[in-house]
Amino acid sequence: MDQSAPIFGFNSAREGLVREVVDRVTESTSDPLFYLNDAAYFEIRRLESARRKKDRERYAEWQKLARTLGRMSPSERTEKLRELAKTYAWDVAGNFNPKVYGVSTRLVPGLVTGLLAPRTLATMVQNPAELLSLDALDDKVVVEGPFEQLQRLARRGTLVFVPTHLSNMDSIVFGYALERAGLPPATYGAGKNLFTNPVLSFFMHNLGAYRVDRRLRHELYKDVLKAYSCVLLEHGYHSLFFPGGTRSRSGGVERRLKLGLVGSAIEAYARTVRAGRERRVFFVPATINYLITLEAETLIADYLAETGKSRYIIEDDESSRLGRMVAFIRKLLGMEGSVVIRFGKPIDPFGNSVDEEGESHDARGRVVDPSSYVRDEQGKVVLDAARDAQYTRELGTRICADYLRETVVMSTHLVATVAFARLRKASPRPDLFTVLRQRDSVVVPRDELAAEVRELRDTLLDMEKRGEIRCGEFVRAASGGDIVERALRAFAGYHTTPVLSPREDGIAITDPKLLYYYQNRLAGHGVAWDTLGGPARTTKLDAAAPSLGGLR
Amino acid sequence: MSQVAIVGGGPWGIALARAAARTGASVIHYTRRETKESRLVELTSSLETAARAKLIVLAVPSQVAREVARGLGDHVDGSHMIVHGVRGLDPEGLQTISDIVREETPVRRLGALGGPVQAAELHHGTASAIVVGSPYPEVIRAVTSGFSGPWLRVFSTNDLRGLEWASALVGCVSLGVGFAESAGAGPGLLAALIARAMHDAGRIAALAGAEEQTIYGLGGYGDLLASIALEKRPEVVVGRVLAQGRSVAEAIAEAELRVEAIELIPRLCDFARSHGLKAPAFDGLARMLEGQPGEDILGRFFQV
Repeated sequence: MDQSAPIFGFNSAREGLVREVVDRVTESTSDPLFYLNDAAYFEIRRLESARRKKDRERYAEWQKLARTLGRMSPSERTEKLRELAKTYAWDVAGNFNPKVYGVSTRLVPGLVTGLLAPRTLATMVQNPAELLSLDALDDKVVVEGPFEQLQRLARRGTLVFVPTHLSNMDSIVFGYALERAGLPPATYGAGKNLFTNPVLSFFMHNLGAYRVDRRLRHELYKDVLKAYSCVLLEHGYHSLFFPGGTRSRSGGVERRLKLGLVGSAIEAYARTVRAGRERRVFFVPATINYLITLEAETLIADYLAETGKSRYIIEDDESSRLGRMVAFIRKLLGMEGSVVIRFGKPIDPFGNSVDEEGESHDARGRVVDPSSYVRDEQGKVVLDAARDAQYTRELGTRICADYLRETVVMSTHLVATVAFARLRKASPRPDLFTVLRQRDSVVVPRDELAAEVRELRDTLLDMEKRGEIRCGEFVRAASGGDIVERALRAFAGYHTTPVLSPREDGIAITDPKLLYYYQNRLAGHGVAWDTLGGPARTTKLDAAAPSLGGLR
Repeated sequence: MSQVAIVGGGPWGIALARAAARTGASVIHYTRRETKESRLVELTSSLETAARAKLIVLAVPSQVAREVARGLGDHVDGSHMIVHGVRGLDPEGLQTISDIVREETPVRRLGALGGPVQAAELHHGTASAIVVGSPYPEVIRAVTSGFSGPWLRVFSTNDLRGLEWASALVGCVSLGVGFAESAGAGPGLLAALIARAMHDAGRIAALAGAEEQTIYGLGGYGDLLASIALEKRPEVVVGRVLAQGRSVAEAIAEAELRVEAIELIPRLCDFARSHGLKAPAFDGLARMLEGQPGEDILGRFFQV
């Protein structure tokens, strides 16, 4: 394993990085009074109904600050700002334990064992050999992509991985995929709430994750976070962002991205060019595809309740319930190819494709110097937040298009799409919520289902030829009936209600919501019913319009 | 001093070159036509020379925009800005010209010109107003400094797509106005037709990802009012000829210039229909092109 990536020296560099972040945030703030007021306002509002003693104390401190801000001298304000920025920066900064990394990479299967029996975690770190061998996961988890190119680019520049996001398992699964691909580990921001799960927390904390506290809504904290991410990138730390911002509630492929951290990568690139030590940034869109999703039930219920916003932080889903996690992992280990991680082709921050050597090429294949995008009319490198915001939006559109292309179709998605279309046809009214109420009312004869599955699979193979989607190994070659069987096996035994139930007269649709969840994966491709709203296939406007069902 | 390149030797290109030169900008004018020497601008027939300027304005007919952009793409990089003053959409995929430029060049900082200003006004320096649309503030700044003066006010919008769609949609509506006037619509009916057609236009543009508001601003309504005030505006001429019961071919011959709206109108109707949007005024425009008599179209317009 190449241990030259900066992350291996993270702990000794950490103090310097934090200092850089604090300096940058403090210096870039022209109006400390505004920032302090803004922070006090949001914190007082957040903490006013808090019960815990520590929170009550903080509340009192913020109130005191808000009262005295007006009387402070400008230098006192700057000092206060610096103090706060420092507290936040240290809270954000993660840890990287090369020992844990070394062990867990040979041993992410061990991690899986750890999840099965968390008390063995401690022993596992001391005695890796006792744990499950790596091979056990090899055929369960499939990792695909242009590995050699990415390995080379990892030495030439900074990689920014931007995968789709379905599950709290993603960061661990993706960490494993990086190792399998022969790539150095990536640092990433994980919601602070995840650190409360002892298992996830142990690994994330020691594998370079930094903490993002989503409860903090004020500008100062956001600036610290962005600056931290930016500084890491400038120093060449490969990074992982989930640009969807949160797990996809609907099960659909992301269509709108939260671009704050993605934007920090563009700024980081511009800063290295300006400082005369250009370090290229390569974005790597990726998809994480599950045969079944750990948290599917909670997520889809949340999506349908349209409370996604208020329950932005879900703390009581399947990933915090050990029993579900165990069941999930048993399922995962029981079926081959149940998780596929697919790395897409790298692109530069301006949406150009990148070749084997790290050179950017425009849509016509001409070589283009990426630094030209951050230069002004006189050729001077300038940092321009408004310009970068637009670059970022355009990059977001490009990443979403790549997600569709790199989506890997699994048996469950395919069968769900076909079955849900049946359900829709049988529904007395065409709106989504009526369709979702058709529980246990539709039974599809096995051979009909198999034939329709085969038909859709053939359509998907044609799409794959055109580069619009990917088919999983099994889906590509199996018969319609076998695809149905595999989906049934995957659905059975994990989800609390069976999604589809085999009966004498055929397959009964017993959980329309989950069926909807799994079919949504193909909604953006124009093959499944698209009720998700927002732009789907927007490269050309001649695509047939998705009809909006019950949802906005 | 800013430097601007104008690509395109037609009346619109010449007018833009003169307008830029008037502000004191150093102007490189790319043209393949014979043009008389000018003291104010540097003439060239090389795109490479044109690319010396970081701000490049495309003023070519829409059907050659792709080809010109591709040629230009060999000489520009990410530090260039390309702004086009081309009215029209690709009728097939309904791509805007900036979409096409993005496909053909490495340039990202793109923009478009639109609004009520007429070539003659730019040419002679009589006071008028132009609109620049770009999501990049730098592009807006560069165009403003390259073109604005006491005789030309540069308004701006960040809704590039909206401005491009506005220009194309206004072309279609102008055709209808020429038709209605000639078919005997009185001022009240004419006003109603215009307002309803612009309402459709706004909703069609929104469907294409533009901001509806842009259509009702200077780049849409403003542009329309200027268009229909012109005697010889090609779209208006086509409408007038059709109202006389003559064929589309005859109308094209009379207009002398390519009128893109003729191809675009039926495409836009399909586009609206496939998205479940009712656009009765645009359907009326389509029937007009199919040769339905004026009194039928106008008479039925407000029937429920």
